[in-house]
Amino acid sequence: MTNRYVYGVMADEPVEFETDAVGGADRVYTVSHRRLNAVVSDIDTTDPEETDEDAQRHDDVLREIMDRDGGRTIVPMQFGMAFESDRALKNVLRGARPAFRRAMNDIDGRIELGLKVVREEDADVDDVIEEAVADRLEPIAAQSVPNDMFSDRLVLNRSYLVDRDDREAFDEAVVDLEDEYDDLMFRYTGPFAPYSFVDVKIGAQR
Amino acid sequence: MFILDDLLVRPFVGIVDTLHTMALNEMYDIDALEDELKENQLLYELGERSEAEYRERKAELEEEIEIARDVHERLTSGRVEVKS
Repeated sequence: MTNRYVYGVMADEPVEFETDAVGGADRVYTVSHRRLNAVVSDIDTTDPEETDEDAQRHDDVLREIMDRDGGRTIVPMQFGMAFESDRALKNVLRGARPAFRRAMNDIDGRIELGLKVVREEDADVDDVIEEAVADRLEPIAAQSVPNDMFSDRLVLNRSYLVDRDDREAFDEAVVDLEDEYDDLMFRYTGPFAPYSFVDVKIGAQR
Repeated sequence: MFILDDLLVRPFVGIVDTLHTMALNEMYDIDALEDELKENQLLYELGERSEAEYRERKAELEEEIEIARDVHERLTSGRVEVKS
């Protein structure tokens, strides 16, 4: 298996550890170009199928790295980036260096949290909830982006980029909102690697 | 207006062909199916759907999405025969 599946890119020290990796591999390590380290595992294809299990493994590897050494910064890749050789991957790291640097600056010391607010079936909801959520959460978050409103039941679907140091305050604000709007359901998720706040796509260049 | 524009721009495409394509697009709406897949996941996570219900609906939707992709591929490659 000479293909490399990429989870993300970081500037910190290289890592190597055993885990359940995407596509049946059991070891995660880094391929480096100068000070950029791509976190990879071996895989037998350059076009991996996104099964639920492998999508979960992709997330788990990123979380494991984010939790290391008191919190590392990694620019996450979307599922499915695989390269046919170390050389191909290093070429991409070289070409996309400025973009990775910029992305690292944006997300340094930060995590992504997700919030979906869902109404009960057939319930009418006052628009005021959106304002209330914005008033409480936006001042704590560094940035936020709206997500796809894929269901009529969704009242709000947003991702927030939050400093690790502000995590507790953000959690508390969400709990307060939940208490206040107990006729609505809150789905609060994370922390994730900040997928929604980086825009480095490297797959097309392989 | 979509139908009118389409017919003006492509005068050789018969109205039956255009309507048929529109009907197929609506019947095999991949975006709507994908939205339903996400909703199914959300309702499961919120505890409104049991794991069995979630898995059953997920399998159905994935199959429908696969069929819809196949139909769209045939549509764009012109392999869907339009009978008028």
